[in-house]
Amino acid sequence: MNCLPLTLLVAVMVLLTPKSRAAERYTPGEPVRGKFQDFAQPFLQKHCYDCHDAETQKGDLSLVNLGKVDETNASLWKSIWAQVTLQEMPPKQKSRVETVERLRFSDWIVGELQRVMKDKGGFNAHLDPKKGNFVAHHLLFGPLPAGIQLQPTASPARLWRVTPQEHITRLNELINTEPAYDPKKPGLRTHGDAVPVNHGGELKLYFGVDNILRWEGGTVAYATAVKSVPVVLSSARKSGLKNYPDFNSVNSAEATQILGKAEDILKFMAYGPLSLVGLPEQITADPKTYDQFKPKGDLRGLPTAIVYSPKVLRPLTPVVDLMKENESTDARLRASVDYLFEALTFRPPVAKESDNYVQIVKDAIAKVGHRDGAIMGLSSIFLDRDALFRPELVETGKPDRHGRVMLQDWELGLAVNHALSYLKPDATLRQAILAGRMRTREDVQREVTRMLNDDSIRKPRVLQFFRDYFDYDLAGYICKDTKALAATGVSTRGDAHYRAMFDATASTDRLIEIILQEDKHVLKQLLTTQRVVATRTDETYFGTRLNKAEQAAAAAAKKQTDLAEIQKLEELKKEIAALEAKLKTETRNKATQKALDQKRKLLAAEEKQPEDRKPKRKRGGSNGGVAEADLDGPQTYARVGHRSFGTGSMKPERTLATAPAGQRLGLLTHPAWLVSQSDAMDNHAIHRGIWIRERLLGGGIPDVPITVDAQLPDEPHNTLRERMRVTREKYCWTCHQKMDPLGLPFEMYNHAGLFRTTELDKPVNTTGEIIDSGDPKLDGPVSNALEMIKKLANSERVEQVFVRHAFRFWMGRNETLNDAPVLQAAHRAYRASGGSMKALITSLLTSDAFLYRKVERAEPARASGG
Amino acid sequence: MINRRTLLKSMAAGVGAAIGSSMFPSLARAATGSSGGPKRVIFFLQNQGFDPATCIPDGMRTSGSLANAKLPEPIAALEPYKERLHIINGLHGLHTSPSHSAFFGALGGYRGSDGVPPAGPTVDYELSKVLPPTLLPHLCIGMDSMENMKGKPTVANLSASGAGQPIFMHSNPNHLYQMLYGGISEGEIRRQHEARSSMFDRIEQLASANGGALHGAEKQRYGQFVQGFHDINGLRERLGTVAGHLSKFAPKVDDRYTKPAFETDWHDVLLDLGISALKSGTTSVLTIGSGRGEIFGAWKGLGITEQGHNLGHMKQPDNPIWIKIRQYNSRMLVRLMEQLESVPEGSGTMMDNTLIVYTSNNADKQHTNGATWPVMLLGSCHGAFKTGRFTQLDGKRPINALYTSILRSAGVQGDRFNMSEQLAKKFDSGSGPLKEILA
Repeated sequence: MNCLPLTLLVAVMVLLTPKSRAAERYTPGEPVRGKFQDFAQPFLQKHCYDCHDAETQKGDLSLVNLGKVDETNASLWKSIWAQVTLQEMPPKQKSRVETVERLRFSDWIVGELQRVMKDKGGFNAHLDPKKGNFVAHHLLFGPLPAGIQLQPTASPARLWRVTPQEHITRLNELINTEPAYDPKKPGLRTHGDAVPVNHGGELKLYFGVDNILRWEGGTVAYATAVKSVPVVLSSARKSGLKNYPDFNSVNSAEATQILGKAEDILKFMAYGPLSLVGLPEQITADPKTYDQFKPKGDLRGLPTAIVYSPKVLRPLTPVVDLMKENESTDARLRASVDYLFEALTFRPPVAKESDNYVQIVKDAIAKVGHRDGAIMGLSSIFLDRDALFRPELVETGKPDRHGRVMLQDWELGLAVNHALSYLKPDATLRQAILAGRMRTREDVQREVTRMLNDDSIRKPRVLQFFRDYFDYDLAGYICKDTKALAATGVSTRGDAHYRAMFDATASTDRLIEIILQEDKHVLKQLLTTQRVVATRTDETYFGTRLNKAEQAAAAAAKKQTDLAEIQKLEELKKEIAALEAKLKTETRNKATQKALDQKRKLLAAEEKQPEDRKPKRKRGGSNGGVAEADLDGPQTYARVGHRSFGTGSMKPERTLATAPAGQRLGLLTHPAWLVSQSDAMDNHAIHRGIWIRERLLGGGIPDVPITVDAQLPDEPHNTLRERMRVTREKYCWTCHQKMDPLGLPFEMYNHAGLFRTTELDKPVNTTGEIIDSGDPKLDGPVSNALEMIKKLANSERVEQVFVRHAFRFWMGRNETLNDAPVLQAAHRAYRASGGSMKALITSLLTSDAFLYRKVERAEPARASGG
Repeated sequence: MINRRTLLKSMAAGVGAAIGSSMFPSLARAATGSSGGPKRVIFFLQNQGFDPATCIPDGMRTSGSLANAKLPEPIAALEPYKERLHIINGLHGLHTSPSHSAFFGALGGYRGSDGVPPAGPTVDYELSKVLPPTLLPHLCIGMDSMENMKGKPTVANLSASGAGQPIFMHSNPNHLYQMLYGGISEGEIRRQHEARSSMFDRIEQLASANGGALHGAEKQRYGQFVQGFHDINGLRERLGTVAGHLSKFAPKVDDRYTKPAFETDWHDVLLDLGISALKSGTTSVLTIGSGRGEIFGAWKGLGITEQGHNLGHMKQPDNPIWIKIRQYNSRMLVRLMEQLESVPEGSGTMMDNTLIVYTSNNADKQHTNGATWPVMLLGSCHGAFKTGRFTQLDGKRPINALYTSILRSAGVQGDRFNMSEQLAKKFDSGSGPLKEILA
């Protein structure tokens, strides 16, 4: 937890500059040129020196000696850029900066930082999605002040590296046959869905597990014996939007590993489970037949412990034919090359590409023989540029008068495909591309509409947007302190909590899909739904943590019930004894015999009942002191990975239930989201507040200054709210007032996500406040998270901010002012359709921002800013 | 931009990159002083736990010199080397929740478990970035049952270059030999090496040709991809150009590589390859995973018929099976020391500048909570580390503190490794390196 220092949170005076720039024109995207003395210094004099001159030095900061941007003062200039751009500085009451003047100054700083830092790591902070909100919301959705001239928008020509998840899904297609979409069981893992993480949260490619008939040992033995490889491509980002094109490249270590794994994949493609076993007898329809061949001793954890079915369950590809023979023909070689090329790059190779790879394979075969050479040579295709990056380079098109070229043919087709899917284009889209019907906006509209309306075409990218936007998929990776976790009421047995959280991520995925299926008021639904997709364990996580008195009352009530039960049994026994005694004297009294039989039956039933009433032991439930939620409901399914942990693998069965009224409201009150925004010991009210500020209100928060190293005090007997008093220090509060009061209403849940009414045996304080939201109707105090969420869910601004995030996700970049028409159109489409995600996506994918690329020209030499 | 640091970072997880020209002892020696601190570090992790009773001399309850102590039977092979040995008991890894194995958490000092991806870089990788540069700064080898090594010749369970970025260990000595010594090999290995070399050259050409239309930042980013191949090819070429030097260290390929009688044949030759990479100056950090960080493993070559998880369920003290495994480990440690002593470096030998860290990826035993995590250090690195001692700690400092100490000895400042202040409040009674081990 950090605070902002004194340095930049103080203000300025108004000084007249020799020349007002307010009336100047501003064209977003065009470089703002000017020397420090002529351009920046007058701005500083006019707006900043009042508080930050040598005499006043508010926040211990004087800007008088600040010169032109250079390497040593770059971080200070970056802070000035953030403060001015976010309109934090100069303070409104101190100095008025015209919009155009502010925009020009902000752009000038960025331009100078880029120039100065070019060979020193570069300056790209403004391109980071965390800085997306640095573009003022009212300028994107409201009227523009005079002097701002927008240009038709476009995105830069670029290469997108595939994400780890896309890559592993692509590789998975080569070796596993995923089940076809079953409309009767939506939610089950289906061909086209992303490969889910395994039981521990690791993204892995599994070989031949669908063929496994038997193994020895338990779940861990299974996990060790099966063949699996972890994802090779890396992703440096844990939260938020993770897939801008410029985030990642592929390094040499990754390339080497891709090649190594490619050979394993090719061998499995060729030989199936035979490539995994030590003994051919391991492949049999009747596992018993293997018993006479299997090695002696303890085989647990060994590949020889596994028996595979001989059924061909993997996809049969030209690689099978190629590897069947002892030597290759040109036709077979080319068939394999072309097949793999398209499977890995999603487009057929042009003749030259095909020739190149055929030659590589031939060369390898010439050196090491047919089988080894073919495998080695074919593996090179896994490292083709287009197997790891998706190009949007518009190399052939003619630029329009704004220097823009529209994507065409394969580039356009693959861009549309990538917007929704992780698989290669389906037959219809492929044919459209080949037939020259992927060249216009209408072509895109046609294909996007078709794909969005076909549930059998899976759209993992859409789901990924919601994961990135909400950040509900981090919960299983938050390492919890065992004692602190135990105090929440959930089980700390083994990895029960972590598995519950990975299950919760899958459940939330499913809930989102259900809401997307209805496609009405999607954002509002997500924020306010009472529906829950749940496992049995969720009855604890969606339950209520009882306070001490309640726990005592519950224990007393149970004791009372038990006592009553015992008394009832004693009574029955007495009655039976009396009847038995009576029968001794009246041996033939049928009525007495009948009454006795009835009483005996009743006794047996009563004695049995307590057994039945015992709570069923379930994995990852409560450790006591929790009133469980009733989450019964119709059955549904959630997407879980391949069997990765024997019988302990994740299970897809779920119920579609209703969350306890008055306690939960939408995704932000579900344990998956709450735990994702928590830490080892407690809730993370600051993270939660930042999330609301950035993702719903569209506000920006400057980076935490490196000089700040504030910590919340370690006071186990104080609540989080009490410990957060340190953020109310004057120099911290300027920023923290915009996050803390938005995060603290979620104190109605503990850090495992259970509802609570008390904290440390006192009534929990769940109050908060929305300030400076940009929409006066939203501002004001709230009594708890539910009240705050209801307000936010009805806000048009919140809807617009959601649209901004969708824009970023699908365009792979931050919006600029030039994108205002695209954002407004997308928002209109969303509203006009009654909150349809399909309408929003279609609007974005048919916009200029998606269709046009601006080729970056060689940079003209710039005048020094000094 | 590709800079040296990026290169080092990218290469450590797999093959390697080009960094300077002369990283071999003949030249590196000139730069080796006697100011202390390791020039190379070896991590040896036996799976299934390291019971303190198998390494603490009888009767030693408190810290003291090992001079008059007799090392227990399982590690008796280290008796002649005990003046350079430091047995440390009483570190903990409670926060790594080892149970069956802490996996990446053992060297990372964070929570690890089966199927859990690494939460951050591990100490071996971090050291490989800061120790004197070599062609292949970090090499990981993993020893397992024969069929596991054949069926899954590379797995990643112990080392990582960052969160979600596992580093693979090599378990097939034939593949590793090809990677290290393909340029000086003969026969089938040579043919494989040449075929692969030629293919990689071609891949680099294709990748290069595909970047022609790019500009600015895109060109730079794609350049990293092309540079990756350049690095791979560059490493191979550089290994080729110093073939004469390498040939002095390359082990002789024999039947143990191609027709191993037991898995221990491959364990032995993997160790030889690791030693050769250290001796030739190709590598500065060697991570050895005996059992590959998992809960299985086999040592049939030692006459142990039991294998796998059952071994973990046995008590280790006075258990003939575990005595054999630990003795085998100890012989490997002796071999490492003897081999590194045979190469002069500075005014002494390579061993004088080497630290060996022996422990388990699973603390003290199977199903442990990690409250006790015994470690043995070998090597003083010119007096940087205290040696000839047994140290009993109070169980309140985590294994992270050991890693902080080693990093400190390698010149990395910082009081904590992979542990936030918040976590430290709970799991670390102190801060900074362990004064008990640094001289």
